[in-house]
Amino acid sequence: MRKLVSAPALFIEAGAFLIVGLMLAFWYAPTDSSSMGFSQKIFYYHVPIAETALVAFGIAFVAAIAYLRTQDLKWDRLSYVSVRLGLLFSILVMLTGMIWGKAAWDTWWAWEPRLTTFLLVCFLYAAYWVLRSVVDEEQRRATYAAVFAIIAFIDVPITFFATRFLPEGLHPVVISVGGTGMEGSMFVSFFISMIGMTLLLVGLTRRDLAIENLKDRVTDLKTSLGG
Amino acid sequence: MTIEEGVKYVAAAYAIILAVLVLYYFMSARRVTALQRDVNLLEEETKRRQAPAGKGGAE
Repeated sequence: MRKLVSAPALFIEAGAFLIVGLMLAFWYAPTDSSSMGFSQKIFYYHVPIAETALVAFGIAFVAAIAYLRTQDLKWDRLSYVSVRLGLLFSILVMLTGMIWGKAAWDTWWAWEPRLTTFLLVCFLYAAYWVLRSVVDEEQRRATYAAVFAIIAFIDVPITFFATRFLPEGLHPVVISVGGTGMEGSMFVSFFISMIGMTLLLVGLTRRDLAIENLKDRVTDLKTSLGG
Repeated sequence: MTIEEGVKYVAAAYAIILAVLVLYYFMSARRVTALQRDVNLLEEETKRRQAPAGKGGAE
């Protein structure tokens, strides 16, 4: 049973990368010369969190397909856990994005392509949770949830490419095929934070999977003991 | 925007991130510990019930 619990080493590594990334963002990367000035420092966690959220939804999408192909509940658990973490990271993106918006555009919210499609992602995956809570039978719930996770994922690439295909929006495009649009020191700080956030997602996914496996074990043991 | 104004926004953003992530980390760690304890108790109970009479203290 011990193996179910994720290794703390992963969290230590994630924490180390995140702390180093943050230190570099404040002491190595220069202050942005645009009108944002010092508040641009929000970028070094805001963007890695956003990309990690989209990765989590991507994992949920792949796991949902794997579940529909195999009917193995381990894939349903991975999809469920990934959606939960994706939503957690999405909430952080929305909150820090609003602060960014206030600093950059003097408004907490704007109905522009990136923000609107990201809000839609949040609503879609919140609906995924509602769907799971209304279906009792395990296999049926897993099937409905998998189908929903696949459909909901359609909005993820739309969100990612919204600023590229609809450039009239307020949201800047920092990373594109042509380059990063960042100074070297800014990119290093950003990249280290990105690694830290990805490791954190892996650690939390492993831990949340452990929680789901332990819950199943408790249910099985209670059943075998007669309730 | 002045540095002082910028600091206010940056501090708010990082405080939210830190608070939410640290809270989630400790909540999930507590959940693992509680569930692990439940599993151990239930496994002990299962073993106790499966043990032959007289050996596990059954009178």
